[in-house]
Amino acid sequence: MIKAESSDRAEAAFVLLIMQSLFWLIAGISAVPFAIAGEVFMAPLAVATMLLALLTCLVAIGIVWRRRWARGLAIAIEAVCLFGSAVLLLIPLGFNRGPVSLMVNVLLPVAVILLVRKDEGAYS
Amino acid sequence: MFDISPDHAIALYTGMLAIPPALFLLKVRLAGRAVPGTVLAASVLMAVAGAIHLGLVWTHLGEPVTAVLFVLNGISYLVLSQLFTWRWWRIASAGLITMTLLGYLGFIVLGFDSPDQVALATKLLELTTLGLVLVPVRGEARKPHRGWRWSALGVAVPLLTLMTSSVVWVIDLARPDAQHVHAGAVLQSTNDVATPEQFAAAQRLYDQTAAAIAPYTDWHVAWAAGYRPGGPQDQPSTHWMNPRYAAYVMDPRHPQGLVYANSKHGPVLLGAMFQMQHLGQFGPDPGGPLTAWHQHQNICFTPFGVEFSLMTPTATCPLGAIDVSVPPMLHVWIVDNPGGKFAVDIDSRVVKQIDQG
Repeated sequence: MIKAESSDRAEAAFVLLIMQSLFWLIAGISAVPFAIAGEVFMAPLAVATMLLALLTCLVAIGIVWRRRWARGLAIAIEAVCLFGSAVLLLIPLGFNRGPVSLMVNVLLPVAVILLVRKDEGAYS
Repeated sequence: MFDISPDHAIALYTGMLAIPPALFLLKVRLAGRAVPGTVLAASVLMAVAGAIHLGLVWTHLGEPVTAVLFVLNGISYLVLSQLFTWRWWRIASAGLITMTLLGYLGFIVLGFDSPDQVALATKLLELTTLGLVLVPVRGEARKPHRGWRWSALGVAVPLLTLMTSSVVWVIDLARPDAQHVHAGAVLQSTNDVATPEQFAAAQRLYDQTAAAIAPYTDWHVAWAAGYRPGGPQDQPSTHWMNPRYAAYVMDPRHPQGLVYANSKHGPVLLGAMFQMQHLGQFGPDPGGPLTAWHQHQNICFTPFGVEFSLMTPTATCPLGAIDVSVPPMLHVWIVDNPGGKFAVDIDSRVVKQIDQG
C-alpha cells in the first residue's frame, strides 16, 4: 500500500506544466523551417516560443520545489493562456475546436490553476 | 490529423463514459487508504484510455489483428487502472504506456492507420498518464527508486512526446489523403476524373474570368474598383481584396480578390480569387476536380510581417501567432502556372520570372 503524508497536487501540476512546456517547444521548433524558408519574423517568434517553453519548464521545477514565485507565475501563465483561448474561441477566426486543441488550450490550463490554487501554505 | 475519423468517433464517447465508473471504483476501493493523488489520476486516465481502445474494437471488426490488439490493450489498461496498490504497478504501467505509444507509431508508419484527433488525444492522455505514474511524490511512505523515477520521467516523457508529435506530423504531411494534398489546406470533394462537360465548364469559367479581370492589369483600375492589398508588398505576391464584392458567389465580374506579383516594375496581375463567406461552405464547382475549392485551415498566422506557419499536432502555434482558418477559395491564374489554371498556389518560379522580367 502507498501512503501519502503531504499534498501531491504540486507533482501533478509539475507533470502538466512539463507537458505544456514540450508543446511550446514543438511549436517553437515548427516555426524554424518557415523562418529558414524566408519568413523572417518567424525566427524571433520561434526563439520567443522556445524561451517560453524553458520558462514553463523552470516554473514546473519551482512548483515541485514548492516555491511561491513559481506558483504565482504558473497561475499567471495559465490565466493568460485561458484568456487567449477564450478570445480565440469567441471570435470567428476558425480557431480549432477539436479534442486535442480543447485539451491543450483549455483543459490543461484549467487543471494547472486548480491544482496550484489550493495549498497556498505549502509554498514558501 | 485535425479531423475525427468516423470509425474512431465512438471511442471519444466510450472514453468519457468510463470516467464515472472509474471514479466510483476508486471511491469504493480507497476506503480508509491513503494513495497519492497522482496515482489516482493516473488510474482514472488509464481507465479512460482502456475504454477508448475497447470502443475502437467494434468499428475494427473487419481488421482482426487490429481488433485483437485493441482488446488486449484496452483490457490491460483497465486491469492496471485497478492495480495501483500492486508493488510492480509503476513499472508495469510505464511499460504498457510506452509499448502502446511505440506500437501506435509503428502502426501509422507502416500505413495501417492515419493519425486523427481521437488517436492524438489518446496519445496525449497516455503521455500525461506516464508522467503521473513516474513522478515521485513528497511524503510517500515507501520511497522506491525515486532517483530512477525522476530520471525516467525526465527522459521518457520529453522523448516520447517529441517522437509522437514528429512521427504523426511527418506521416500526415508525407501521406495526405485526397482532401489534404496541400499542407494547411483542405480540398473540396469532387469526382476523380473530369468529364468532357466539366472540362468545357472550367474553360468557360477561365475565359470569362480572364476577360473580366483584364482591366485590372493596371493596378490603378483595381484600386479605383475598391481592391486593396491584404498584406505587405515586400512579399513575392499579395492578395488584393475587395470587401464590396464579399457577397458575390463565383461571379467572374466580381471576384473577391486579385493576386499581384510584387515586381520591381510594380504590381503585375497574376490572377483572381473567388472566396466564400463562411468556413466549410465550398462554392459551386463547375469543373469538378479541375475547379475544386480549397480552405486553408489550422494555419498559424502572425500579424508580424503577415506570415504563416502550420499548427502543430498538439494544437499549438508559436508565440505571437494565432490559429486561423479561412473560408474556401478558388484561384484563377491568368499567367502560365505549371500547377494549373486553378491551382491552390502560384508557382514561385513564375513570380520570380515576372520579377526579373
